[in-house]
Parts: sequence; structure tokens; C-alpha cells
Amino acid sequence: MKQIKDFVSRFQTRISLNKNLIARRGDRYFLLNDYFKRLISEDFFCAGTYLGKTMRGKFFPSFNLLRLIAAKKANKVIVDKKTEWLFICGRDIFRKGITEMVGSKKKGNYTLILNRHGECLGFGKTLCNLDKVKGKVAIKNISDIGDFLRRER
Amino acid sequence: MSGKEFFVARYEKLGWKFEDVEQRQAIRVNAINAEEEAVTKRLRSLGIELKKIPFLENGYWISKSKFSVGATSEYLLGLYSIQEAAAQIPATLFTDPRDRIVLDACAAPGGKTVQLADSMQNTGVIIALDVEKRRLAALCNHLERCRVKNTIVYHMDARHASKLKSSFDRILLDVPCSGNFVTDEYWFKKRTVKDVKRNARLQRQILAEATKVLKNDGEIVYATCSLEPEENELNIDWAMKNLNLQTEKVKCHGEKALTSVFGKNLDSSIEHCRRIWPGQTQGFFVCKLKKRGLAQ
Repeated sequence: MKQIKDFVSRFQTRISLNKNLIARRGDRYFLLNDYFKRLISEDFFCAGTYLGKTMRGKFFPSFNLLRLIAAKKANKVIVDKKTEWLFICGRDIFRKGITEMVGSKKKGNYTLILNRHGECLGFGKTLCNLDKVKGKVAIKNISDIGDFLRRER
Repeated sequence: MSGKEFFVARYEKLGWKFEDVEQRQAIRVNAINAEEEAVTKRLRSLGIELKKIPFLENGYWISKSKFSVGATSEYLLGLYSIQEAAAQIPATLFTDPRDRIVLDACAAPGGKTVQLADSMQNTGVIIALDVEKRRLAALCNHLERCRVKNTIVYHMDARHASKLKSSFDRILLDVPCSGNFVTDEYWFKKRTVKDVKRNARLQRQILAEATKVLKNDGEIVYATCSLEPEENELNIDWAMKNLNLQTEKVKCHGEKALTSVFGKNLDSSIEHCRRIWPGQTQGFFVCKLKKRGLAQ
């Protein structure tokens, strides 16, 4: 739970999750509801909303969790069509591909990457102050939805 | 008892003249995640040509695409799923699935589970089982991509569903089957009647277990992508006689199922089931069942 909260805070926001409704299975976390909580047995494989997993003490969010964060007032950038495609292919983001910014633009923060429809494509780490940078990589890709294809390989 | 000639002769005896059919790729818009019109507009803007499938609510055939429809942002965002047209039928046959407790007994890789969640608008709960652990990861990826949140997945053989100690309003039995030649170019080379009979036995065991966990007023939808009557009409005839089940009329694509198979007369109400010979879609069989005395 703390790992989830800490992760979310890196987007300069917070989300409220009912601790009693979070189920852990091995290194993976799931958000349930009251009905599920009553119904579920401990040997489930996955359930409800998958939130993410920890590996070697580090938290790796699911895209469900990123969408929950994106619904809040959090650090996010909106990118153009070409940048959207490059991002989901695993590439980093150049400043010129960013059409809009919300929240902190400071170096070192995490920021969500959204397309022009406002859909969350993943997240990255701001490599330099987004207000000042020109012509170089501005956001390092950490996780993108192209991962759904890469996982299946 | 195998080979193309053998099976083609069987199909002729059942009333269908063999024709080679090429599989048509199809998608289904996940209505809970996006407006159908908006999704099709976005896909068409990418140069993907779509044709509405007349017998499905959210289904489209891909007429032309320069690239894989499984690698667009829209796909990765869960706005649509790739799902063969006939395979989109079973999940549509349940009456009022919202807020129900639903069992998807042979769920992986999850196309129909996602479709069920979509028709339930993420309400109620789907208990999804699969016997193959390696397929569960693909199932969970599918659920995450399509933003499904009303599902609990267990690594479990459908034949042990009563261990869940729950009873279900709706049960989808998309049972393991022999498949058909449309989706597998080597089908005629590898399939024998022995395989068909082995699968039919497994399917009967799954049907029997599902009946145990079905609520008195519940519904089972049974589906295979097999053309072999042992896995379809003959199994349903057996279920009616041995499990106290009765078929329900369904309105969907396909022909009335066979009531006479290789000289054996079956219960006449088996014509309520639907047999889909290959053509517009792959081969398929689908049937809705209720406990006897409660069927409408």
C-alpha cells in the first residue's frame, strides 16, 4: 500500500484507495469491491482491478493504476499523433512532440503521457525542465501500452 | 477414420456441401470503453476498411488494413478486441447479464470474458476459470488492456467448478473442442474421430459440472467451434436426457441445429440450437440451456 502511495505521489497527486479492499497475491496488488471481498478465495490468480506489482522492492504500476492517476489533477503531458506512436513503440519524448502540459514541469518528476483524446499511454520521467528544454529528449519512457504486445512475446 | 475425404463425406451426410472458406478477421468494439462510432472513425482515419457485421451489435469485419489491427493505439487502449465473428455470438445470448454472478468456465485467452464484462458494464462478477496456467497470464493481460474490473480468475479445471462453493446465474461453456478447418489449415491432417470422441467426453463432464453449479433459474450457453455432431447436437441430446436440461430458443446467426444425425433421431427441441456452417464465419455451434421445467 505504501509503495502504491509513494508511486502516485511522484505525479504530485494522491488517490484514495480503501486499504481493506486491496488484495495481495504474491508480488501483485488488486483493488476489489465489497462484493468481491466476500466472494474471493485466497488462491485467485487475478481479480478486480490490477494495480501493479513489486519487484526487488520497486513498484511497477499497471495501466489501470495509471488511468486512475490520470483522472486526477496530476503531472501529465499531451502528445501529438506521431509522438504517440513513437512512445508506444518504446521511444522517449522530444519537447516538440508535446502539445500541452499539466502540473509540474520540473526535472526528475514522473509525468503521465496522454494522447490527443486524453487517453493514458503510459508514463515517463522528466529529464529536464519542460519550460526551458528545446530540441532534445524531454521525457524518458518508463512504461507504455505497447507493453501489452511485448509481454506476449 | 480421419483425413479430408472422410470428414467432407461426413459433412455431406449432415447436409452441408464442403467449400473452402478463408477466415475473415473481425473486431468487436468494447462499448464500455468507447463510442462505437468514434472508434470506427478513428480506425478508418488510419486507413483500415471496416464492414459492419449485420448479425452482431458491435462487430466489424476488417476488409483491408495495411498493418496489423492488433498493434494500433486503439487496440492497446482496449477500445476494441480482435474476435472472430461467430465467436462474438455466445456472450450475446444471455438474458439480462448485468449485476449477475457469471461463470466463464473455460475462459482463456479471454475474448469472451471481456465481451461478457462489456455486456455486464463491469457490474456483478465473472468467475473465470482455465485449466492451463500459462494461458492465465494472457487472460489477465487481456482483462487489464480492456479495463475489465468485475472478474476473478482462478487456475481451475472447469470439471471442478463446484469447489468454488458458489452457484451461478449465467454460465458460459466455451468448451475445449476439435476446432474446424477454417481456423486451422492443417485441421484435416491432424484430426481423427478418436480426438472428436475424446473431446466430446470432456465436454459432457464440463456440462455435468456446470449443471451442478447452475442456479435453478440460471442459463447455460454452450459453444464450440467444432462442426462434429458428437461435440454439438449429440452432446446436447445427452445433456437433455441425463442432466435434466432443456434447450431455449435463441435469436442469432446460423441454421437450426440437426435433429437427426447419421440416422439417429434426437430430441426435436435441439433445433433451438444454432449450427453455423463455414461461410461468412468459421464453423460454430451454440446453444442455450436451462434446467427442465424452468425453461420458457
